[in-house]
Order: sequence, then C-alpha cells, then structure tokens
Amino acid sequence: MKQPKKLFLVAIALLPLILTSCSLFGGAPVSRGWAGTAFRDGIIYVGTKDGRVVAINASTQSQQWDYTVNSAIYTTPIVDGDLVYVGTYSGQVLALSTLARSQNLTFPQQRYGEWEWDCPTGKGKSNAIVADLAMSEDALYVASSNGRVYSLDKGTGDENWKREDIPVLAEKLWTSPVIQGDTLYVSTFAGHVYALSVETGESLNWSFKSDAGFASSPVIYEGAIYAGSFDRHLYAVKIGSNVSMWKFPQEKPAGNWFWASPLVNEGIIYAGCLDGKLYAIEAETGEKVWEFDTGDPIVSSPILMDNLLIVANEAGNVYVINPQTGNSERIQNPLSSNSNAPTINTQIKASFCAYGGLVYIRGEDNQLYVVNIETKIVSKPISLTTQE
Amino acid sequence: MSPGDIWYLIIANPVLNVLIALSHILGGSFGLAIIVLTVIIRLITWPLTKRQLNSTKALQEMQPKIQELQKKYGKNQQKLQQEMMKLYKEAGVNPLGCLWPMLVQFPIWIALYQAIMRALATTPENLLDLAQRLYSWSVVSQAIPLNSHFLWLNLGSNGDFLLAIIVGGTMWIQQKMTQAPAVDPRQESTNRMMLLMMPLMFGFLTFMFPSGLALYWAVSNIIGIIAQYFVTGGWGYLKFRSPVKSTPVKGK
Repeated sequence: MKQPKKLFLVAIALLPLILTSCSLFGGAPVSRGWAGTAFRDGIIYVGTKDGRVVAINASTQSQQWDYTVNSAIYTTPIVDGDLVYVGTYSGQVLALSTLARSQNLTFPQQRYGEWEWDCPTGKGKSNAIVADLAMSEDALYVASSNGRVYSLDKGTGDENWKREDIPVLAEKLWTSPVIQGDTLYVSTFAGHVYALSVETGESLNWSFKSDAGFASSPVIYEGAIYAGSFDRHLYAVKIGSNVSMWKFPQEKPAGNWFWASPLVNEGIIYAGCLDGKLYAIEAETGEKVWEFDTGDPIVSSPILMDNLLIVANEAGNVYVINPQTGNSERIQNPLSSNSNAPTINTQIKASFCAYGGLVYIRGEDNQLYVVNIETKIVSKPISLTTQE
Repeated sequence: MSPGDIWYLIIANPVLNVLIALSHILGGSFGLAIIVLTVIIRLITWPLTKRQLNSTKALQEMQPKIQELQKKYGKNQQKLQQEMMKLYKEAGVNPLGCLWPMLVQFPIWIALYQAIMRALATTPENLLDLAQRLYSWSVVSQAIPLNSHFLWLNLGSNGDFLLAIIVGGTMWIQQKMTQAPAVDPRQESTNRMMLLMMPLMFGFLTFMFPSGLALYWAVSNIIGIIAQYFVTGGWGYLKFRSPVKSTPVKGK
C-alpha cells in the first residue's frame, strides 16, 4: 500500500496547484474598467486602467491633472461647467472640480463645488457603478449594481428621491438610464424596460417585458425605445405599448449580442453588434438599409462627426463610414508596414468622443489615441499611466 | 490552434453552454443545472468509477489476507511490499485504480470553475467575454443573464461554513467507506490522517472557490456514496469502530 499512498499524497499536493490553475486558465473575475473619453474646452477627460480620472490638454497633449479613485472606472466622465462627474466600480459618484484638481488640493473641496456620494450596497449586493451616468439640467441619474436608480443633486450630491420610494428594478443595473421629458427609462438584463418618475423615482404605470434580457443601454427616438438584447436582436418598442414595434433581424438572429448602445440619426439606427457588423436600420420599420462587416466585435457605440460615422471594433480598427451608403474606409496603422495591421495596436472597448475632426480613443493598453479623420493619421499615443 | 484554443473548443465552451442550456431548461435555476451536470459527468465517468469500485470491493475482500501479510512481514517493509504486490497481481487488482477517477476529474473541475465564473459573469469584462463563448442556441441566449442564487447560496461567491461542512462531511463518508483498517499502528495513524486530510482540504477550498463548484463537489460526493453503497454492497468500513479487533484474520 505504500506506493498508492505516495501517489495519493502527490495527488493531494497537486490539488491546490490545479485548482489555482483554474484562475490561470481564465474565468476569474476581472474588473479593470473601460471608461470612455469626454471632450470639453480643449481638454479630454478619461478614466484610466489604473483607477484615475485624468485631464489631458488636447493641443499640448500634456496631463493637466489627475485624481486617483483607487477603483476601476467604467463610466465615461460627464463634464458640466467646471465639474467632472464620474461613477466608480467601488460604488461612488464623484464631482471633481477642474480648478481644485489643477491645484492638486485635497478632495473634496466644497468651495469649488466638489462632493462625493456613496451608493448603498443593498442586501448582499454590490454597489458598483458600471453604467454611464445620465444628466439633466439639475440632476445626475445613477444606475447601480444594487438594482436601483438614484437621482443626485448636481450641485451638492444630495439624493433627490426618498430611498423607500426607489424600486429595485433588477438583480443589477449595468445599463444607463435615458431621460425623456419628465420620465426616466431603464432597460434591464431581465428584459424589462421601466419608466420612472424623474421627480420621485417611483415606477410609472408603463413597462415593457421582452423574452430575453436587454444587453445595451436604450436610446429614445420619436417616442420609441431602441435597445439590444441577449437574444441577438435589436428591439424597437413604442413607449406606452406592451408589444414591440419590430425586432431586428426579423428572421434569424444576428451573429451575437447588440452590446453597444445604438446611435439614431435622421430616422436611421446605427447598431454595432458583437458579430462585428454595423447595421443601418430604418427606425420606423426595422428594415435593413445596409450592413458593414468590420470582422471583429463592435463593443463601443458608433459616433457621428461631420456627417460621417466613426466606428471602432474590438481589434483596434477604426472605420469612417458614409451613413447613407455604408461605404467605408479603414484608417491604416501609421506605425506598421503591414496594411492589414489594425489602426491602433490595442483593443478598443471604451466609448470614444470626437471634436474638430479628431477622434479620441482610449485603448485597452491605457493609452489615448487621437485619430484625424480628414488626414487619416493616428498621432503618437498619449500614455495615461501615472506621470512622475 | 493553441492548446488554450483546443481546451476551450473541446472542453470549456461545451461545458459552459450545456450548463447554461440546462439552467434555462430547469426553469432558470443555475444550481439545479450544476446538479444535473454533475449527474451527467458521473454517468460519463461511470466506467472508470465502476472499475474503481470493483477494485475497492476486491481490496475489501482481500483485507484478511493483507492483514495476515502485515502481521507476518510487519517488520520487513520491503518483503511486505513484495508480497502485497504479488497478492494484488494474483487477484488481478490494481491498487492505483482508485486514483484515475480523481485525476480525470481535475480537468472537469477546471472547466466547471471557468463555466461557473463565466456564466455568472460577475464583472462587466466577464459578461463581454461570455458573449464570445456562447453557441447560437436560442435556449442559451434566452437563459442570459443567469440567476446566481440557489437555496441559501450565491453560486458565484465563495462558499460558506455550512457548505464547507457538507463538502468535507460527504467526502469523509465516501473515503471512510473504502479505507481498509491496518494492523500496523503506524499505518493506521497514516490512514487516519489521510482520511481527514482530503475532507479538510476540500472544506477549506470551499471558502476559496465559488459555491457553484463546491456544490458540484458535494453532489459528486453524494453520488459517489450512493454508487459505492450499491456496488460494494453496503457501507463498507464506515461501520467499523475498531477495525483491527473486529476483522477476522484467516488462518489464525
């Protein structure tokens, strides 16, 4: 029995090793964030992979200031006046003053209007903030992983709604609310679209239920809500109706989820899909106008600039597309002699912004890329890692 | 194709998709899906389990002879080993046979761990990654996102004390049923240590790994106990309080 026992002991010794390798093989929880970029008055604001909010001067490409939040950041910063609002994976919303941060003062500086708000955790639930914040004239709306939406006073960070009035809408909320008049619309992973009162946060009479969960944040256009679903369709729902207007594709599903929030312009919906295609769809009928295959998943939403669609796929390719015809041009990688090399040498998951013919993209390598749409030139990336 | 790609293609992604499909079929219960998948895995590995159980049964039947040898050659370990190996050979028993089902389960544990973590998608990155691993079966897409709650457990979070006791306890019973008593007190104390080591280790691992994986261990142990009961015909050595005294030795 000695030999079997030895082997038995070897097996026992191997056990922790093999179980540890579970995480090495993949599947372990990873949360590094994919905050998008925001542009305001010549400054680009972005959350970094190392848990900081950074302000970069677009013309000098130098870092104006940074603030460490010590947490992953998934929300694209919202800039309003001198304040930059950002939600964190650790469950906080911060109002950062560009003036106070430029002077590197301790946070929060109330005289500069700074505040921080801690999201409640709920029973055994995370309070992580993943969805982009929504902003109205006076308030910020925060969807939390605890399944609730909160309304915060933009000036003070005080909660506008009574907590007991706020319904739990889902197991977790990772999609952004959208505001239409005095109503807030929220799509959920469980397949609901809820309407909440902007004043009180209470559920209004109307809601919509789909068979599958909604993967993307909704957009509203002419009284209808458009959102991507886990069943590989894009749904159109008339507000007030219990049945969908249409779902796209009408016959067999697309190749993957419609993860990114769609873009609507002049009656056409532009929806990026994780199957790598960008679909142009008639908002009214759900008929396909054209489709363009980028070859790799589209994670970030397309944007429109100077009547051109800008689309980036996860592989790092950036395309300029004519929204009417779907004709496209891929921006070449200036650093590679290989014409098939992706536009930038890293993955793109974050949403991006554009201003003055330039597109600002945060890559997964924690660098900021500036793509000139007219000249098709990608400038040298700006590092977003801590500067000494 | 890299070894990693092959792993995902052949093992990890099929386990993930079957688990999610089962969850939808079973009314959205991810916990029930894990239990059913455990049963399926135990059925697939049944030939190996059966061989192991038969080996166990044969070893149990040989105990009087083994104890006789232990008494006879107790002071000469080398000779004892030789005689015991001869005995195993004559009886056509492979004492290492019991290791194979455990070794086979290692890749299953890894695949299941990955499947649970990916399927429950506890972070945004995991959810996005999940999209690339799902089959286009409607039963899969309709199941997403999964409900991570089952009984008192959050299947994506680390296990708790009660689950650790269930995992360790069922493992102890399963081992105790097969562990033969030894005449040599030193060997008996090693046996006792081994009998405790695995259950304690798995009880400890329950706190470090998602509850869903620990649920698999617990259910797998319970199935193992039931199979052992029926194949070896009873509770085996679980019923012995003082095995050395109560085991008759032939030829004395």
